[in-house]
Amino acid sequence: MRHDAHVLIVGGGGTGAALAHDLSLRGLGVTLVERGELTSGTTGRHHGLLHSGGRYAVNDRESAVECIEENRILRRICPGTFELNDGLFVAVEEEDLEYVDAFVDGCEACGIPAQRLTRDEALRLEPNLNPAIKLAVRVPDGTIDAMRLPLRFFATARRNGAVIRPYTEVRDLLVHDGLVSGAVLLDHVTGKEGEVRADIVVNATGPWSERVAAMAGVDVPIRPSPGVLLALRGRMCNMVLNRLHKSGDGDIIVPQRGLSVVGTSSWVVEDPDDLTVPEDHVERMYAEGSKLVPAVRSADRRAAWSAARPLIGSKGADTGRELSRTFKTFDHKETDGVEGFVTITGGKATTLRGMAELCADVICRKLDIDEPCRTRETVLLPHSAYYAAAAA
Amino acid sequence: MSTTDTRTLRVYRFKRGDGAEHFDEFEVPVGPRMSILDALRWIQLHRDPSLALRHSCLHASCGTCGVQVDGREELACVSAVRDHGETITVEPLANLPILTDLVVDVGEFFARFPEHPIIRASEADGYVRLEDCIECGLCLSACPVAATSRHYVGPAALVAAQRLLEEPRGADREDVLAWADRPEAAWGCHLGFECARACPAEAIPAERIMALRRELAR
Amino acid sequence: MSAAPGPVRHKGRGPAVSGWVAPRGRALGGRSFALHRITGIALVIYLYVHLGVLSMLLIGESAWGDFLSVVTAKGFLAFDVVLIFGLLFHALNGIRVALVGSGYLVRHQRALFWVATAIGTPLLVYAAIHVFGGA
Repeated sequence: MRHDAHVLIVGGGGTGAALAHDLSLRGLGVTLVERGELTSGTTGRHHGLLHSGGRYAVNDRESAVECIEENRILRRICPGTFELNDGLFVAVEEEDLEYVDAFVDGCEACGIPAQRLTRDEALRLEPNLNPAIKLAVRVPDGTIDAMRLPLRFFATARRNGAVIRPYTEVRDLLVHDGLVSGAVLLDHVTGKEGEVRADIVVNATGPWSERVAAMAGVDVPIRPSPGVLLALRGRMCNMVLNRLHKSGDGDIIVPQRGLSVVGTSSWVVEDPDDLTVPEDHVERMYAEGSKLVPAVRSADRRAAWSAARPLIGSKGADTGRELSRTFKTFDHKETDGVEGFVTITGGKATTLRGMAELCADVICRKLDIDEPCRTRETVLLPHSAYYAAAAA
Repeated sequence: MSTTDTRTLRVYRFKRGDGAEHFDEFEVPVGPRMSILDALRWIQLHRDPSLALRHSCLHASCGTCGVQVDGREELACVSAVRDHGETITVEPLANLPILTDLVVDVGEFFARFPEHPIIRASEADGYVRLEDCIECGLCLSACPVAATSRHYVGPAALVAAQRLLEEPRGADREDVLAWADRPEAAWGCHLGFECARACPAEAIPAERIMALRRELAR
Repeated sequence: MSAAPGPVRHKGRGPAVSGWVAPRGRALGGRSFALHRITGIALVIYLYVHLGVLSMLLIGESAWGDFLSVVTAKGFLAFDVVLIFGLLFHALNGIRVALVGSGYLVRHQRALFWVATAIGTPLLVYAAIHVFGGA
């Protein structure tokens, strides 16, 4: 079923991928452009946590519920792309124990299965844990392959007719009289410029959202908020290990193949392209991570890098942690009087499908198209199918 | 903190618009922990935004940033600039068609794999774990047999086949054996062992290829 | 992705077979692979030359005598030693390749190379002494 509508998605991260998939399933024409390799922005760089929502169960229940719902859906539609060994929230110090009840209650209220474990039970599951731990709570965390999961969305979208163009940069948007009608593109494969027209242009560029929105003459309240991540050689745990406390730096260890990823920290920048990796933050990862798993202290550094989260909120925040982590779709006709332009932003890797559903609903409403979302039940193609689907 | 230390990067360039292959040289300021990928991205940001690169995870997990640095296969994100000399040559991986600059045609790489969809979670060790192979293509680039044979499936594809025999997850054993029992598959390996040396993960191509052959010989 | 496939970088310079012997970035495995090919091709060429030379016997005794004086010169004897090296390397490495290629001692492929070297070196020295000594 095809609709006579063409949507141009700017940004080839998880959000763009899921949106291209959702819209093409609804029968709309889709072109997606990404200036680099797919997922080369923030999406590819995250630590790979398949969120149970536990981290938000106390202070941000909206996020927590989004997480656990999407967690379940992803397991259904992308089998085989995860390490599904659950996760532990571990009480390491005495103060952590004060947090336990609120944590378990919060999980229950959000529908997140949470199981209390004694110190011995936890150590049996994860022998590398700090022997001084007090207790742990088990939740359905997992590890995502940060690049290959979105690639499955791209593969399915491509098979369903979406045109995916990496190495294609948006130089400018075509704006006239308060209407966005397309974009000027620079193709880095050929080195040539061109134009593409669309009924709606979607800004799905994460921390670069402000930059693209400015091309349409509008503003979005996004603060690029980077954090440092540290990959250590050696698989030090099979379950995701979290510190049982209010959010802090270095309080998660995510296993990934033969590596253990410790994260993260938080600060705010203006330019999401020019990210540094402050060594004191890396040192903090070692220090906090070794509270959970002492072997972290002496582990070999495979890599240390920074990834910029797109956080929504009013400007003027300092560290970025107090901004909300929910996601939003901005229809710029409503917010700024500019037609044909929508920004989708915020969120986490785990909620990519849910973000896309919300945005696709807005887009279909704008285009007067009546199509239900089909992404909750559609099993995705394997990631390698993306390359086989060329010229489909 | 400003650094006066710089390196010269000689970077391979190719755009389909003009079709001319050449090398560009860039002076890049070098910090203590800078990776080759950091240097390439610095060039993109400050000198030439048209430089096309592949990268995603920045920590040797996605396998997209494979390049040849001074003729040796490496993942750019974990290759330290300081481990190389004053002038560093960066080229795309060998034995695969080039799309543009340092980007190779990954479709050609995946086309060599056995037909079964590559399921990527293993339960062999009692817990669930993603496969070691990160599909980076360094092994195919390093392989001396692949240098002359376009049809040799290459080490990564053979590793995938051997893993399907070890842990089928729905694959048909006879199909996989038939796929492997060809001169351009398992018998195409002539023991150069460069694949095992290049592999940045723990996929150990050479050993798995020999294990595959033992299976075929049974 | 696009219509025509792009250029392909390969490891050597010039023809694709130079990729077999390209030294940059190679280790023991790759270098012994290269040497195995070189010695294999060289031995085949030598075989034809050798047979061609033997056919000189058909011409007569004096032609054979001229030939003998060339091949017993010191310079030529050195070539004989190189030939013996090629034979020994190809044979011993060939055993290594046959073993490892059938799945035996794969993890010890480097150690096998050094064992082959340990066997081959005294044999080569012995042969060299007799080649030069017997002239």
